[in-house]
Amino acid sequence: MLRYVARRIVSWLLMIVVATNLTYFLANWFLDPRANYLQLRPPRSPEQIDRALAQYDLSPDTPLLVRWWNWISNIVLHWNWGYSPVGEAVNDQIAFRIGVSAQLVLLSTILSTVIGIALAVYTAARQYRLADRFTQTLSIITLNIPVPVAALAVVLLAIALNRSLDSTLLFVAGSQSPTVSGFWPLVLDRLRHLALPTVALTVINYAGYHLLQRSLLLDNINADYVRMARAKGLTRSAAIRRHGLRTSLIPVATSIAFTVPALFTGAVLTETIFAWEGMGRYFVTTISKNDVHGAVAVAAFGALMTAVGAILADLAVVALDPRVRVSGA
Amino acid sequence: MTANIPGLEPLIDDMAAPSEVEGRGARRTHLSRRRLYLRRFLRNRGALVGLAVLSVLIVFALFGSVLTIYTYTDVDFANLSSAPSPEHLFGTNGAGNDTYAQAVHGLQRSLVIALVVSALTTTIAAFVGAAAAYLGGLAEKIILEVIHFLLVVPAFLILALVSQRAHGDWSVLILVLTMFGWMFSARVVWSLATSLREREYVQAARYMGVGPIRIVVRHLIPNIGSLLIVSFTLGVVATVQSETALSFIGFGVQPPDVSLGTMLSDGANTVSSAPWLFYFPASLVTLLTVSMALIGDGLRDALDPTSRSGGRA
Repeated sequence: MLRYVARRIVSWLLMIVVATNLTYFLANWFLDPRANYLQLRPPRSPEQIDRALAQYDLSPDTPLLVRWWNWISNIVLHWNWGYSPVGEAVNDQIAFRIGVSAQLVLLSTILSTVIGIALAVYTAARQYRLADRFTQTLSIITLNIPVPVAALAVVLLAIALNRSLDSTLLFVAGSQSPTVSGFWPLVLDRLRHLALPTVALTVINYAGYHLLQRSLLLDNINADYVRMARAKGLTRSAAIRRHGLRTSLIPVATSIAFTVPALFTGAVLTETIFAWEGMGRYFVTTISKNDVHGAVAVAAFGALMTAVGAILADLAVVALDPRVRVSGA
Repeated sequence: MTANIPGLEPLIDDMAAPSEVEGRGARRTHLSRRRLYLRRFLRNRGALVGLAVLSVLIVFALFGSVLTIYTYTDVDFANLSSAPSPEHLFGTNGAGNDTYAQAVHGLQRSLVIALVVSALTTTIAAFVGAAAAYLGGLAEKIILEVIHFLLVVPAFLILALVSQRAHGDWSVLILVLTMFGWMFSARVVWSLATSLREREYVQAARYMGVGPIRIVVRHLIPNIGSLLIVSFTLGVVATVQSETALSFIGFGVQPPDVSLGTMLSDGANTVSSAPWLFYFPASLVTLLTVSMALIGDGLRDALDPTSRSGGRA
């Protein structure tokens, strides 16, 4: 088991390294850090700009391979991901943003998986009844709503709610208030900020799990082993949950890994709309400010998230499927 | 997501299906394949609604401009951020542009991008997937590795990197969206085509000395046609979503050009002071994606020979 996990981790690490380096070259090709200095007043001469950029390994005068070598050896030796064109360390920027994004993405992944699968179990047992038809239509619609539309609709609803309550129950911007102190007030404040973006991300993500799980569950809800479980004396819902669901969970578990990139894209948009200073917002800033090193760090983070998701999905499959035997081979 | 793909049955021209007879008496008729698919599609209420909505949208995009005297770039300084009125059907934005004219143009732009990208990605996916399956061996391995790699790369970031350099040129956007949009359906095509390559007619063609390219084009791709049609409609949905997302954060279509994504990002800033700037593009883009998805689902059910409706068509 351990060897299997280790092998998976190594192959994914390789994938991350390749993806990150590829992004490094692409970013150098498409982003021009000199542009940041061109609007400065008083105007700088090209030599001044190059000198300023050279200290951060960004000067286009230095050969790309030399810059690449400096960049990668800094990461490997000092875990230093470089600097933006104006000299902010990427490490500092990422450090506080990762937590902000992680709570958003993690919470909405968990919520949408649980909600989606629970809805699927509920509706598959009631195929073609009113509840099934209603939730299915709803899921088809929410699955296809573009993220900005969903997020802004949530904002509009929250504004209406706040108005009707005549107080700010849920915040539509920022990840926390600067003035709150104390442990419990802080937790409460965080939750009030977290609620809306999480709802927005969950609304667009749960439907995929619902529809996939429902159709898989319907495929084997009448299988012999489910009937056998009923014959043993289990209730219908217990038979579906314990026997029908368990086998049909496997493809869903694998699909979770491949929704991570989509979730990351969703986070980029929701963070922009809800003014969260997370990785998604950073992504937009780095690209529009020609911050090569920052953009590459975001890419590495995205690849890492995908890898973590995929490995967790593999482990889930091993845990769920008794036919999958993991040996060292 | 392999649960909902159309099946692989070879396309038999006269698929004999017992039909529910209109008149009295159990008269059995043979239905041509096309008629069968049409009947199955027409019985799907969701798909019909989708088709109706999509037709309305297309008519709106093509001929909507006759209802207004403004074009999407015209500026009406007397009406800045004014609410919908008989003169400006959807109101105006902060710069005085007519939102109705912008919506017509934006829908056109989004539709063109989505249709072209989806057609291109489906074509590429069909060729690459089928070729990988037919060639087998090392070529198959390499192609699959590349697809797998491109699937895990944070594609959205690379999309944004490349397209921000295009400065809103929508033809470049089409190119970029195509480059990073074909992998998933190529994988699905591959998994279906692997079982096709063992079929007798493929082997017969090979023993007759037909070249690999010709076999892929003449024998493999036509037999996954139903999958390709479905993947085209769903590709349109995916492209509209990416285009909206890119334009929303400012890396896709850029002013002065207008797409539904740029209109949404306009509306996002004034969502409480001028909500009509958000409502109209939001409903247009949602209608577009949902109707396309409904049509895709309907097509999938109609084209799937193992579907429940098979015997009752």
